Amino acid sequence: MSAVIDIAALAEQLRRVTVEVTDGGELLGSGVLWPPGFVVTNAHVVRRREVALRLVDGRLVQARVLARDPDADLALLGVPGTGLPSATLAEPGSVRIGSFVAAVGHPLGVRGALTTGIVCAMGPIDRSGRPWIQADLRLAPGNSGGPLADAAGHVVGLNSRAAGPLALAVPMDQVKHFVRDARV
Amino acid sequence: MDGLQSLSNDLAAAVERGGRAVFSVAGRPRLASTGVHWRPGLVVTADHTVHADEDVTITGPDGRALTARVAGRDPTIDIAVLKVDAPGVPVADVADSQAVRVGHIVLALGAGPRASWGVVSSIGEGRRARGPAPELLHLDLTLYPGFSGGPLVDTQGRVVGINTSGASRHWHLAIPASAVNRVVDELMRRGHIPRAYLGVSTQPVRLPEPLRQRHGLDQPTAVIVVEVQPGSPAAAAGLLIGDVIVSLGANRITDPTDLKATLRPERVGESITASVLRGGEAKELQVTVGERPRRG
Repeated sequence: MSAVIDIAALAEQLRRVTVEVTDGGELLGSGVLWPPGFVVTNAHVVRRREVALRLVDGRLVQARVLARDPDADLALLGVPGTGLPSATLAEPGSVRIGSFVAAVGHPLGVRGALTTGIVCAMGPIDRSGRPWIQADLRLAPGNSGGPLADAAGHVVGLNSRAAGPLALAVPMDQVKHFVRDARV
Repeated sequence: MDGLQSLSNDLAAAVERGGRAVFSVAGRPRLASTGVHWRPGLVVTADHTVHADEDVTITGPDGRALTARVAGRDPTIDIAVLKVDAPGVPVADVADSQAVRVGHIVLALGAGPRASWGVVSSIGEGRRARGPAPELLHLDLTLYPGFSGGPLVDTQGRVVGINTSGASRHWHLAIPASAVNRVVDELMRRGHIPRAYLGVSTQPVRLPEPLRQRHGLDQPTAVIVVEVQPGSPAAAAGLLIGDVIVSLGANRITDPTDLKATLRPERVGESITASVLRGGEAKELQVTVGERPRRG
């Protein structure tokens, strides 16, 4: 393996599409700029109609909650204005057990923190049958709603919660369904 | 392709390759553990995860449930070997665990498959950390529930050890493949895994400074013989109550755990030198390691 492993570049790429979801200066969680003009995050991150988003360049923008599904733990926010970058999603079905993944978010208020790991398993963890990407990767409060991405920086899931040392992320195809069903 | 992408592909391929020989082992209530198809018809797992000897249900990577029985156990290194008829399930590619170095990237696999990754953080026992075997691989990775008994694989998916939490949350260890091979070889040679014994009961004892100086010993403690079973290898060698055993072969004996760890199954029949202190004088005795009579 002679090629260079540049995790810093990967982190930078992900920070550009990761927002900080705040309310009156209080950090609520993270979010992903996707699709263009929108932000997806967890429903448990946004409990009000309106929130403020802090972008990687420090700008604060107001966002409205357009759709929210507490069962799927997903929310869609509208971001006014154009020119914001948008995340690239991984090809469907490209996630393999053992493949490298990286998470960016604001765990415990640490802005743009990167954690890395591998995909541990995919599928349900309990009788609810909800599928998860289970990653061998550390998450902390503040990571919720942030991107889980592959080695190319393409988003594969939204980090939602931790089960001990295991990270649980909503697979991006679920997020796609949710956004499509929101019909906005 | 960039380096990270290629590492990622290597890791996923290693999981796929290593996972082909992985079984789910339902050997205890609630939490199934993991096993590895080590040699044709022999599945290795962690001894502490298999409670019964007969009718152990194991599930192959293809989802087929099979019935296995315990062919042998080596509790001292937490290894159990199950006998099963598993045609069609590939045998693991077992690598030379001597080639493993501190810092190598490794993956722990659980049935499913599931995977976690990390590095080898140290090899061999720490000075105080007492483990059940020498050359243990200490891992900087998470062994998730059910990972015990599963393979530790290198980035090429080759098995370098068997993972065990050692029935403790704080241990993330792997028994090196070389130690597992020795146990499996014994099983194939004898038809069972013998339990080595000397026939002594011992207690730890502190060595007084003058005694240590006189005999050039740097260990602070040793074990004192408090019982010699009649007719045992120890009795035949002439060990007496009150003898202080300071070493056995090349192994220093600082407490009874060391004695147990030295008595590996493959040493049955071997003649080893016991260095003892008797009445303050150094003495060497030749003792032939015996096999503890089997129950039933």
